[in-house]
Amino acid sequence: MIEVNKNLCIYCGACVGVCPVLANRLRETWIEHDPQKCIDCASCVKACPMAAITLHKGKKSL
Amino acid sequence: MEKYDVIVAGCGPCGAMAARAAAKAGAKVLAIDRRKELGAPVRCGEGIGLHWMEELGIKMNPKAVSAEINGSLLISPDWTRKVMIKNKETKGFVVDRKVFDKELAIEAGRCGADILVHSEIYDVIREGGKTCGVKALVDGKKQEFRAEAVIAADGGESTVARLAGLNTVASLYDTDFGVEYEMVNVECEDLIEVYFSNADAPRGYVWIFPKGKDVANVGVGIGGLHTPNAKYYLDKWIRAHPERLGKAKTVAIKGGIIPVGAPMTDEAVGEGIIAAGTAAHQVDPIHGGGICLAMEAGKMAGEVAAKNALAKTCDRAHLLEYAEIYKKVRAPKLMKRLKLRKVLEKLSDDDFNAVFAHLDDKDIDNLLKSNFAAVVGKMSRLLLNRPGLLKAMSALL
Repeated sequence: MIEVNKNLCIYCGACVGVCPVLANRLRETWIEHDPQKCIDCASCVKACPMAAITLHKGKKSL
Repeated sequence: MEKYDVIVAGCGPCGAMAARAAAKAGAKVLAIDRRKELGAPVRCGEGIGLHWMEELGIKMNPKAVSAEINGSLLISPDWTRKVMIKNKETKGFVVDRKVFDKELAIEAGRCGADILVHSEIYDVIREGGKTCGVKALVDGKKQEFRAEAVIAADGGESTVARLAGLNTVASLYDTDFGVEYEMVNVECEDLIEVYFSNADAPRGYVWIFPKGKDVANVGVGIGGLHTPNAKYYLDKWIRAHPERLGKAKTVAIKGGIIPVGAPMTDEAVGEGIIAAGTAAHQVDPIHGGGICLAMEAGKMAGEVAAKNALAKTCDRAHLLEYAEIYKKVRAPKLMKRLKLRKVLEKLSDDDFNAVFAHLDDKDIDNLLKSNFAAVVGKMSRLLLNRPGLLKAMSALL
């Protein structure tokens, strides 16, 4: 699963567009992440222009 | 449950044009957008070519214009060589997307399209493999809307197309990631400034787009898979140029995703669904601009969807007319520009500096218009001394 730093995020939607399994959803101003769908591919971590995303490999909850 | 002919997911430039075109064609249209304020938050450089306004039959509202642009200035990595281009194609505007987008939505509304803002589509309704509506949160309540056809115009996220079974996921390599600061105390002329350098902006470029008086959008777009991230490159670049940006103050941060691989055509169409604009990667591979391409594609999608919705023929075979039009009108030009992008990506900063020393504004114009042979011919002596560059450039011929 991933964790999004809400204080860094500018809700641009990059992490949504690159997620191959639709685990990220952009609500009005925040990202809703579905750990059950997440496959730990880190695409969104690499995509985030603000470096706001951390990958917690293997974890399904924080 | 309300029934429409055409539902448009997203009401940015693409969605608004699609809704307007479909409404004009006599269809009952609903456009749904997640945002409470259309155009915000801004995600792009906001540059628009004047020639597009004529091509799309749009009148620019003066309120939407931040600055008028007369040309482009391309700068070599070592800053010693600048090429200025001023012609019909480089005339344009830097707009205020918050005003521009809303104006397009207002026009769609005037043409009779229903619009729901602050309403998020969280799923599509599919029956027997055909998309026949959407599920949305409207004022916090779940609602279903049925339609003959759905147009996915939801930008880089492209969620709705994927929920409808189209594969629009952007590969990291073929995606640019951009961050931009709107800054004050930046001296500008009426020129779009583009700084090439693979060190400063790997597989992308740095830009300064004037926003009027001493305000400008200063941004960087980098190709996917480069670390650490776009913001790092932008901050570094701004720090490295105190003579230009030392007094600049940031008044807004913008960012976004730009799918710069090949534009989707047939793959952007399914049973009852069409993806258009940035959602279908219909973006210029060279400069990453997508506002007007999205508007064009939206208009095509809206017209095809409306016609087939009214005739109740929204199967994939009929909706593919949209892809056929796109392949005829736009895709070949974008594919040629993608070819040029692939070459530019391979050039080192040293190559760029050498190439810049040999090119003038006419050559750049030829490159952008895909008249590659003339430019490569002119550079033949340089190419003979640089086998690596010769190999890269020969891909253009």
